[in-house]
Amino acid sequence: MVFEIPKTSYTGKVREIKVGKGDKSVTVGGETAYPFYLFEGEMPHLPKIAMEVWDSPPAEWAEAALEPFLGVTDDPVAWAKKCINDYGAEMIALQLVSTDPNGLDRGADEAAEVVKKVADAIDVPLIVWGTANHEKDTEVLRRVCELCQGKNLIIGPTEEGDHKKIGASAIGYHHTLIASTPIDINLAKQLNILLGNLGVPDEQIMIDPTVSGIGYGIEYCFSVMERMRMAGLTQQDEKLQFPIVCNISKEVWKIKEVHIPTEEDPSLGDAKKRGILIEAISAMVLLLAGGDVLIMRHPEAIKLVRDMVAELTAS
Amino acid sequence: MTKNSTNKKRRVHFDPDNVDIVVEEGASLLGTAIAAGVHIYADCGGAGVCGTCKVLIKEGEVESTRTEKLSDEEYERGFRQACQSRVITDLEVFVPVESRLEVGALARERSADWEISKKVAATSQKLETLATEWTFNPPISKLFLELTPPTLANNVSDLTRLLRGLKERYNLNNLSVDFNVVKKMARVLREGNWKVTVTTLVTEPKTGSNGERSSILTNIEPRDTRRRFYSLAFDIGTTAVRAQLIDLNRGKVQADGIQYNRQISYGGDVITRINYCKQPDGLTTLQQAVVGTMNELINDLLRQFRIKRENIYHIVVAGNTTMMQFLLGLEPEFLRLHPYVPTINIPPLVKANSLGLEVGEHVYLYALPSVASYVGADIVSGIIGTGVYQRRKLTLYVDIGTNGEIVVGNSDWMVSASCSAGPAFEGGGVKHGMIATQGAIEGFEVNPSNLEPTIEVIGNTKPKGICGSGLVNITAKLLEAGGIGQDGKFKTDLPTKRIREGVDGYEYVLCWAPETQINEDIVITEVDLDNLIRAKGAMYAGYKTLIKSVGLASADLEQVIIAGALGSHLDIENAIFIGLFPDIPRDRYIFIGNGSLLGARLTSFSTDMLDAGAKVAGMMTNFELSERTDFNNNYIAALFLPHTNIDDFPSVKEKLAKPQKN
Repeated sequence: MVFEIPKTSYTGKVREIKVGKGDKSVTVGGETAYPFYLFEGEMPHLPKIAMEVWDSPPAEWAEAALEPFLGVTDDPVAWAKKCINDYGAEMIALQLVSTDPNGLDRGADEAAEVVKKVADAIDVPLIVWGTANHEKDTEVLRRVCELCQGKNLIIGPTEEGDHKKIGASAIGYHHTLIASTPIDINLAKQLNILLGNLGVPDEQIMIDPTVSGIGYGIEYCFSVMERMRMAGLTQQDEKLQFPIVCNISKEVWKIKEVHIPTEEDPSLGDAKKRGILIEAISAMVLLLAGGDVLIMRHPEAIKLVRDMVAELTAS
Repeated sequence: MTKNSTNKKRRVHFDPDNVDIVVEEGASLLGTAIAAGVHIYADCGGAGVCGTCKVLIKEGEVESTRTEKLSDEEYERGFRQACQSRVITDLEVFVPVESRLEVGALARERSADWEISKKVAATSQKLETLATEWTFNPPISKLFLELTPPTLANNVSDLTRLLRGLKERYNLNNLSVDFNVVKKMARVLREGNWKVTVTTLVTEPKTGSNGERSSILTNIEPRDTRRRFYSLAFDIGTTAVRAQLIDLNRGKVQADGIQYNRQISYGGDVITRINYCKQPDGLTTLQQAVVGTMNELINDLLRQFRIKRENIYHIVVAGNTTMMQFLLGLEPEFLRLHPYVPTINIPPLVKANSLGLEVGEHVYLYALPSVASYVGADIVSGIIGTGVYQRRKLTLYVDIGTNGEIVVGNSDWMVSASCSAGPAFEGGGVKHGMIATQGAIEGFEVNPSNLEPTIEVIGNTKPKGICGSGLVNITAKLLEAGGIGQDGKFKTDLPTKRIREGVDGYEYVLCWAPETQINEDIVITEVDLDNLIRAKGAMYAGYKTLIKSVGLASADLEQVIIAGALGSHLDIENAIFIGLFPDIPRDRYIFIGNGSLLGARLTSFSTDMLDAGAKVAGMMTNFELSERTDFNNNYIAALFLPHTNIDDFPSVKEKLAKPQKN
């Protein structure tokens, strides 16, 4: 008897979502099988990496993370361009850190102007990420939606507490929404249903499952993302057939292990390499769980992840 | 004496009870009220977080910690939380209707059981849901006996004469004798001129005796008293205590009564009350509170039906495990601690008056057996009462209450579980919640075009609150009309004055102040909706997890029996619409009202039911839901209207698919 490798039977497909404008617009999603199961189905659009840009100079970044961006961190436009021109970024993720009410608390108009400048200056798709403060995000992200009409941005995070108003703006000015929930498949599905009830088209939704890095509970994120893919691909769960965005760099570069200098604890190895590897390996894990878009920081970490994707998809 | 001396006496007057009490300065106002016999609802047991114990200080001064539970308007008008207030000067206090536990002039609940029995009689299909194959042979019997008076020639002792007489006349052997009988028998025998009525009670089966029961002689009375023969059945609920006075000669219920469980003043849920027991005399206080409630019911029933106290011969009690332990005065602490072990599953017979119940000293109290800490005698009672253990029909039995209890099985096997639903179904933790008595809004319809409501109030009076089934109906209709979203949040951009922002976030006005008994707008808030969604989510996740764990699905259920507070007044369509019950054919649903009381009553009627209770408690396998990983997943999935997986609710999906107004 000939041995046959058992195959998963798939009944669903991840939605294809097109973001950005013009030649450099990007389509994500479209998988018909589990991540990199190319022997069972297709992955028409490889996972995309969005490079992180902050709208205000980062004060507490590890040296290793700052180094590639020296000279541009006080200018988001220059920073975004450097990412694209020097490091080949396919997408940019602008983190609106300056709007944090517990930090600089920059106003909505001013923040939206910066977004507009960056969006005008680049041709790759732009993710705009708020601070997860419901009142502030509602104010800021709605203004961004309005000012950047026609840019087809990716706006997040939208949570249960602020989805109505941000959702309405995204519908009105046609941007894609990132539906963000705290690591739970049911909560993710509920928010997607609510966005659907609100009238947000299925082609304008991506999922942020909330992620963390290795050593900080990534197993849990993995399991939730894996279950989302199982529900979407094998259980016809339409409300979970959306591409997944992982905002990972912000998480890994704030942990204590990336900030300890080499000399302080030599057993942890070289500080620079350590940070890069933690980011790269966390990102790889999330790709294997089903991530479609990764927000990343360090060019070398990004290179490692691209290498992995290339190897896994080599024919 | 120093200024801060706490020895100063202060007089506190409570209205509308019109009672006075003298306490020391600095005494807690809630404690003062309890001491004065004024019963105030204190859901959180005096922690200050629930806001149910609001009182109006009409005169005098209290020292009070203000919490966000009092609105500015209320504070201005002189409302304070009783539990947060200390007596400073002499006081005049008014306890508003919504803070009051209605004792004394008791609002008698519409008797769910009676409606049921009418319904049961109406259709033969429903008849099947009562236990069958039991005979009318109460565990307690009265026997009349004429003895030959003693002579010098026949001079055996009184007791020997009595026992001989019983053996000859009734073929009774191996009777044990209660000492109380011995004490009074010399006079009773002679007073009745050697004509006496004795009472016998079957005992627990002897160990290793193949289930045989022997009898105890519990009472002796002069002459023939067989005409007067009553027992009492109780269901001790966390929120309410229900009683039935039973005529054992005619095998029927003579009267029904309900009272709030007075333990509510020490906490709305079992955990708060268990914690209260850590205070000095805490357990005694709680034991006396429930006994006090039962005595009040007993007195009320006896007075109304002009029955003498000594004609009560037996008491059968069912209730959840914690309530039973409180009643029996057993340390409850370990019920709530891992691994959640009760002190006792099959309580021995106990003299009712030793617990403080105001009945004759001959009366024994029989407490139905329980299964586990959170699957109590109330559920065993319901299972025997409905005869689930007698039939092969696969049944889901659900007791809806503060603590939801679930059984799946049939005559061959049974599994049980419990889940904490919270008090929302009984009107607790709900801004204008109340139990289903006069003045509770129960029926609700809404015009989808302008969200104007039509309400139906129990007793056809002006409303004063919302009961559990009302809450279910309101939620379902608002969801269907598009007033709330599937997340239970109000749509705030609709053209209606009724949805507005209140102290606890958005709310919907069911009834404007002038049309109410409480002179304020009766509203349902997002917090209330949240509590209801959590309650129904816990219930649904409970049976989903339990059914799945035995390899079945909802569709396999041949019958669903719903017992509990919501009981017969629940609208099945609305309950399914919000995802409280599985979306299966409606004719599989049967509502039986208070199952616990039903089983207690049948146990009063028949010794067969005593055996059934022991059998059922023994055959039930309990699942600890908190130990199961899929429970939490099912719970979160159920925190949505009707459910995150709408495909599990095809009939609701269809109705919701109608275009909604935005």
